[in-house]
Amino acid sequence: MPYLEEQNGCSTKGDILLVLRHAPHGSSWLREGLDIALVGAAFDRDVSLLFMGEGVLALLSGQQAGALGQKGTHPTLQMLEMYDIDALFVEQRAMERYGLVQEDLILAPQGLEEAGMADLIKHHDLVLTF
Amino acid sequence: MILHVVNQAPDAGRTLEQVLSAMADDDCLLLIEDGVVGAMPTLAALFTALEGRRYVLREDLESRGLLGRQPEGFAIVDIDGFVNLTEEAAKTVSWY
Repeated sequence: MPYLEEQNGCSTKGDILLVLRHAPHGSSWLREGLDIALVGAAFDRDVSLLFMGEGVLALLSGQQAGALGQKGTHPTLQMLEMYDIDALFVEQRAMERYGLVQEDLILAPQGLEEAGMADLIKHHDLVLTF
Repeated sequence: MILHVVNQAPDAGRTLEQVLSAMADDDCLLLIEDGVVGAMPTLAALFTALEGRRYVLREDLESRGLLGRQPEGFAIVDIDGFVNLTEEAAKTVSWY
């Protein structure tokens, strides 16, 4: 999916939207959200992901395991395609807050402004925040 | 209408900011648990865009000694009102 800046609306529909608002490492929020995404996809649900706030850091390239060998979440992100999870979105304002551009990311999410995020939530039957 | 339920205080992080940025024009906000702190008069400016669409849970205000401090424009609902709101809403999204 192409990465579009200044996108206002969003017409993507789906069964489940995961709103991921936590950075990798540090807590298990992000991992648990991604696990739900994979489970949903395994049960043939249409899954979309919105990376919001600190959650955008999940997409940063160059992530590694922790100092004690703890697995990060980046291997899971690289598996999303295998699960046909390709509806990926990112909060544009958070990208700007952390000074990130598409080239910094391991995937190619679509950037959303506020109205786009509201549309995305509206067009999914189940919305879970993590 | 989507009902957005927030249980975090405004100063606890960016949760409130995030839900406000993701709400549509006809969505409603309900503050519960620590979230009810947001309904104190000095913080009312955070919610001016939600006139008529903002609610706060009575039981959680009472337990914190905050009942009666709410500015006009915040509708106080009890648990039954909470249930009614979820019935009126197309869906509920919890933010925590």
